[in-house]
Amino acid sequence: MKRRLFAVFSFVAVLFALGLGLGYSSASAKTQQTYTIGTDVTFPPFEFANDQNKYVGIDMDLMRAIAKDQGFKVNIKPLGFNAAVQATQSGQIDGVIAGMSITKERAATFDFSNPYFTSGVVMAVAKNSKITDLNALKGKRVAVKTGTSGADYANSIKNKYGFKVVTFDDSNNMYEDVTTGNSVACFEDSPVMRYAIQQGSKLKIVTKPAESGSYGFAVKKGQNKALLTAFNRGLANLKKNGQYDKITERYLGKDSTAKPADDRSFLGLLKQNKGALWDGFVETLWLTVVSIFFATLFGVIVGLMGVVPSKFINGASTTLIYIFRGLPLLVLALFIYTGIPSLTGQKIPAFVAGVITLMFNEGAYIAAFVKGGINAVDHGQMEAARSLGLPFGKSMRKVILPQGIKIMVPSFINQFIITLKDTSILSIIGLLELTQTGKIIIARNLEGFKVWTIVAVIYLVVITLLTWLSNWVQRRTKI
Amino acid sequence: MSETKAKIKVDNLVKNYGDNAVLKGINLEVKNNEVVVIIGPSGSGKSTLLRTLNKLEEPTGGSIVVDGYDIAKPDTDINKVRENIGMVFQHFNLFNNLTVGENITLAPLELKKEAPKQATEHAHSLLQMVGLESKFDARVQSLSGGQQQRVAIARALAMKPDVMLFDEPTSALDPEMVGDVLAVMKDLAKQGMTMVVVTHEMGFAKEVADRVIFVDDGQILEEGTPDELFGHPKHPRLQDFLNKILNV
Repeated sequence: MKRRLFAVFSFVAVLFALGLGLGYSSASAKTQQTYTIGTDVTFPPFEFANDQNKYVGIDMDLMRAIAKDQGFKVNIKPLGFNAAVQATQSGQIDGVIAGMSITKERAATFDFSNPYFTSGVVMAVAKNSKITDLNALKGKRVAVKTGTSGADYANSIKNKYGFKVVTFDDSNNMYEDVTTGNSVACFEDSPVMRYAIQQGSKLKIVTKPAESGSYGFAVKKGQNKALLTAFNRGLANLKKNGQYDKITERYLGKDSTAKPADDRSFLGLLKQNKGALWDGFVETLWLTVVSIFFATLFGVIVGLMGVVPSKFINGASTTLIYIFRGLPLLVLALFIYTGIPSLTGQKIPAFVAGVITLMFNEGAYIAAFVKGGINAVDHGQMEAARSLGLPFGKSMRKVILPQGIKIMVPSFINQFIITLKDTSILSIIGLLELTQTGKIIIARNLEGFKVWTIVAVIYLVVITLLTWLSNWVQRRTKI
Repeated sequence: MSETKAKIKVDNLVKNYGDNAVLKGINLEVKNNEVVVIIGPSGSGKSTLLRTLNKLEEPTGGSIVVDGYDIAKPDTDINKVRENIGMVFQHFNLFNNLTVGENITLAPLELKKEAPKQATEHAHSLLQMVGLESKFDARVQSLSGGQQQRVAIARALAMKPDVMLFDEPTSALDPEMVGDVLAVMKDLAKQGMTMVVVTHEMGFAKEVADRVIFVDDGQILEEGTPDELFGHPKHPRLQDFLNKILNV
């Protein structure tokens, strides 16, 4: 059910949290115990960053309320689901609360609290749909999100009810597919679906939760008994005094009265998310600049390897270009981010993996036109330089490269623009750049069309500026 | 160095491109201060022969000794040997990114570590010699073909070589430009420069060459003084060749 790791964000968050934690513990160590609790990066309505980039949601609010009730402090780390679970197992953090289903397998390595939430898969249809049960799905198309229990459930019953399953990568696209009528229904965990409806998705839930399961707070087996006891006690108190209902109602209630009505116009969305969008924008620029730097370095070296007088080195250059230009960027990114750590056992931060990916991919294209640019310089220029006694390297530097670079300038500019756009693909490894920021904002407010429009306009503005800058540079270099 | 000592000595030089034999065992000696003109039909291998003399073409077999260095050997520092061999190309090959002056001073500054002032003065005097003194700061592209070729000769001379190789230096020029370039080459010959010239300018060959070599099909078919070759050609292919080019 939990899938994505937003590792870079987590990394920054961990640093931040550590910083905060250190500051805190020295200030108030004498009275209150501080526990470090891991959670997922985005799993609305249980945990997600709100428009002030503060982590909220049912899990978050519950945890904080219980801590307050029981007199301890929590330090929440949005590590991503898998990382949070592993960090708990290895004892780096005290516990994990992340919409985690209580299962027998997990109970072997974790001690779970009493269940704090009961979930189950429900079916939702468009508001004006006449479908009310599974039998009406025969021959129809149904939307699910990859890796969710809704998808598992739909696949397990599709033959019985005779419907076809289409899979989407994120919730917003899945809901859209139903509201536009491409699919007649979708399957998702009931709290996730109720949150979507509360956020304004034009859907209605028509079935009772199936395959229901319970969520629990988990600590490492045999450890942190006091924390677990406190959690259970606090949970019981909250249920008794009505705070529990208030929290769940805040995220699942039919009318979002608990919140002031959001302004969902373009300007409103821009205002609410300007912090996140700005951060995403800066990350995109930063990623672009660093990647262009290394890609240029890699590309120029490999390009030059393609023109030196050595068959072996020429072959190495051709091979490198062939491999890295031949691999789809997406595959390369996933291979470097997830494949290499599983080979070496060494985790790579997403930012580094992203830069390496772009360095190889964009670098291969740069190498190709560096090689081409040098080869485009009249062969006689090199012969004349060499016949004067100038060594190969010197001839290259003094005569060939100055002419080749002029030929390459337009290609370089083009490649820089492509690099900027290609950073968006790195959202796949969880880099919190502009596209990923858009995805996260949409995961929260489900305003896909408007948010993507905003993101698209930001890209266009940056690319326009970059193009102007490039044209200016190009004019300057044309002597 | 004595007058008779060989400046260039080529023994059994073979050059193949894959299965295609371009040079089939060339033996050649060029003495100090000698002007040797190589003639022959196109595709005969005469340009390839010239280009192996400074290793722009890698020889397949045989030996090429220039100034006592066997440049066919892989461990010879070819860059060092090339400093003493000037080369002039059919298409001039002036460095397009540099001015006329920079073209001439580049190699002396980089390789001889000459002081900039000295290199510049030398360049000016070379430009004067080729009749282009006013063009020191000109861009290469602003020159005519004949002017470019004269700058190319000045560039080669800037390294103070003791051999000059000319690879069809006038073939790419408009007819009215040819005279200026040939005049510079004649001057050089008079000053005692050792020269190997591939050309179709038979007038130049007759007037300036100490020796003329006729190359066809990768072999030297005949060699001798200009009088011998042009006046009394023996080989039927040379007779045929001369007939063709002299009776246009």
